[in-house]
Amino acid sequence: MCLSNFSPTTLGKSCIPLGIIVFFGSCSEDPEIQSYSITPEYDGPMIVWQLPDHWGENPELSGPLAGSFHVKTDSGPKGRIGVMPFREAVSSLEITNMFGMELGYQGFNQETLNQVLQVKKIDGKNFDWIRLTERVQSDNPSTALLAILRNDQDTWLFPFIADAQLINAEMESFTHFLGSIIARAGKKKIRAVMPSLPPPPVPTASGNPTWETPKHWLPGKASSMRVGSFLVQDRNGKELDFSITTFPGDVGGLLPNINRWLGQVNLPEVNPDSQSKYVSEIILDEKSAQLLIAENEEKSVYGALYFGPSQSWFFKLIGDSELARVEKENFLTLLESVCFHDH
Amino acid sequence: MSANTRKNKSPFSLGVRKKAFPWLVPLSSVRLTLVLLSLSMVLIFVATLEQVRIGIRGAQAEYFESFFGIWHYPTEFWGGTFLNFMPLPIPGGYLLGGLLILNLIAAFITRFQMTYKKMGIQIIHLGIILLLIGQMVTQAIQVESRMQINKGETSNYLERFHGVELVFTDITDASESKVVAIPEEMLEVGRTLNTSKFPLKVRVKSFGPNCNFDLKESGENRGNITAGVDRGVGVSSNLSITPIEEDFSAEGVNFSYAVFELLDQSESLGTWTAVAHPAGNSRWELIHPKLAGLSFQPIRHDGRLWGMELRAKREYLPFSIELLGIENEFYQGTDIPHNFESHINLNLESGQTRKALVYMNTPLRHAGKTFYQYQMNKAADYSVFQVIRNPSWLVPYIACILVSVGLLWQFSFHLISFLRKQAKVAPAV
Repeated sequence: MCLSNFSPTTLGKSCIPLGIIVFFGSCSEDPEIQSYSITPEYDGPMIVWQLPDHWGENPELSGPLAGSFHVKTDSGPKGRIGVMPFREAVSSLEITNMFGMELGYQGFNQETLNQVLQVKKIDGKNFDWIRLTERVQSDNPSTALLAILRNDQDTWLFPFIADAQLINAEMESFTHFLGSIIARAGKKKIRAVMPSLPPPPVPTASGNPTWETPKHWLPGKASSMRVGSFLVQDRNGKELDFSITTFPGDVGGLLPNINRWLGQVNLPEVNPDSQSKYVSEIILDEKSAQLLIAENEEKSVYGALYFGPSQSWFFKLIGDSELARVEKENFLTLLESVCFHDH
Repeated sequence: MSANTRKNKSPFSLGVRKKAFPWLVPLSSVRLTLVLLSLSMVLIFVATLEQVRIGIRGAQAEYFESFFGIWHYPTEFWGGTFLNFMPLPIPGGYLLGGLLILNLIAAFITRFQMTYKKMGIQIIHLGIILLLIGQMVTQAIQVESRMQINKGETSNYLERFHGVELVFTDITDASESKVVAIPEEMLEVGRTLNTSKFPLKVRVKSFGPNCNFDLKESGENRGNITAGVDRGVGVSSNLSITPIEEDFSAEGVNFSYAVFELLDQSESLGTWTAVAHPAGNSRWELIHPKLAGLSFQPIRHDGRLWGMELRAKREYLPFSIELLGIENEFYQGTDIPHNFESHINLNLESGQTRKALVYMNTPLRHAGKTFYQYQMNKAADYSVFQVIRNPSWLVPYIACILVSVGLLWQFSFHLISFLRKQAKVAPAV
């Protein structure tokens, strides 16, 4: 046995079996993108739509079946349009009351609902059509336009929340959007119960403001309008409700809003001359804002109102007067911690 | 012309073969055989030691499914503290197996005589060559998968034990869904993938075979991997991902993850994250409700709804299996399984249905696949089959038959010769 027997030719021949070995060693499927059709496995409800060109999608989505959009304007994104799945059992009355409470309505019953409810047929689909306008004196009040589609056992809600002028201007686009909806009921029932709307778009690219909450404040009731919501309780069962809300525009300005809040603690309305009794200047994250301190015997309300270039922000603590006085310092500390992340 | 001359001129004579293939002569050496067998023992010894450290799958990949592996002398052994730093190359399974095949073939051609007397040895070696080749082919093309079916349900796909794929499924149509699956081998960081079957481009930002994950509080930093995620479950659950090493051990569970951006032409639609649950993405709901969406993250584009997930690689079958019932028996007074069996309906491609019983060591064979009873959970009412596709499964059987025939021939030949000789030398009575 000696290697001198090898010649270039024989070496070449010996490569053949070696090649076979290498072939087996490297014999594996080349990775490639596969594409094929299958029998549908997804058994949840399905919904798709076509967005108007000047609408944008809000990325902060929760849940697999909701959509959230805004209207692109020269002054930034405005309004919010949502796609929300509901169980069949959720009635138009419940949905209306959910939004109505936030807009200052006392609560609807079937009779009062019928006064604001229409059935609108868009591209062969019947929508319950409810328009709610905030109960404030304003030329351009906050408005919620609710379109409710019932599809087999599923119910889909398409709320359009914006100021009245924007809603009027976008009515045609909203109708086109609803007309483009293709919905298919799933085999599995939707388990979502009263989901909250996704957070509203913020006109700055920086996102929502942040703040520091006292540790003993508990998560509060979820609501479509609230960006932040906390509950403060003491051992005697007294409660305070703290909320942070935002709306496009100035939603009526300072006076209508503080009068609405004063009304909620049974204090008389004020006029521009007497508003200083409750209102003073405050700085919120280097921005000039208004601080409301209104204390009544049973209920008190503390609030900060900041009217930005295209968006208004409201920080409100309301509830038992005794507990409110205890939490006053915490409330003011929270206001100091607010940061809008836009500078 | 003498008989010897005639013999030398035969095209199959040893001399002619040696002359025709002189380069095979050194490869046919018995010494080489012994060296290779010795190295095989070393390989098995090292791989067995390493199995403790990197698990069966790791040892198999590192030492047997490779041409060579690198071994570090264990610190626990004598002098290990000083010798551990030195990497020792160990010849791998492909190298030794390949050389053994060459050695045997070379011996077959240049050393073995084609005579009836030696025919048995030839057949034995042919059987061993076939066994080695069969093993290599098996290693190269065998595919192992699993099929899990809940009682009363039907399944028509297999899932690979290892490896994931990023999947986009168009569920817009009620009659059929279109699937676009990107295998993990293509999920290279920085790579942009596109196909005519999916309207968006996928730009891979991060991918790993295993991770630790955590749901951060709102506003809390998610960490580097998912910092840029701005769409889907990654945002709604504030999901933080920390890459970790892949666990090769038998009990190891790996949560593969991917972070990717979707682009409509050049416009970014956002960045998503996806994590594959090793037991199926339907399990996410049990871990945390906020993670349930990892089994279906919706992406709506151009009037179509796509569901996205990272999942175990799937293979869809033209037939399906319905699990009718399961039986789970143990030896009395012990937890040692005595019998697992699954009663199934095999729904054939032709539309016919065939009933079958699959139990331990009695698999179902259909369409080139073998379904073995693998796991069972009576409480949860599901059964898992291990599914093997091995086109060369018959080769070891044929090889064993050849070896047996060869041995039988060789011993019989010698026995008969011996008996004949005995008969000749026996004194006449």
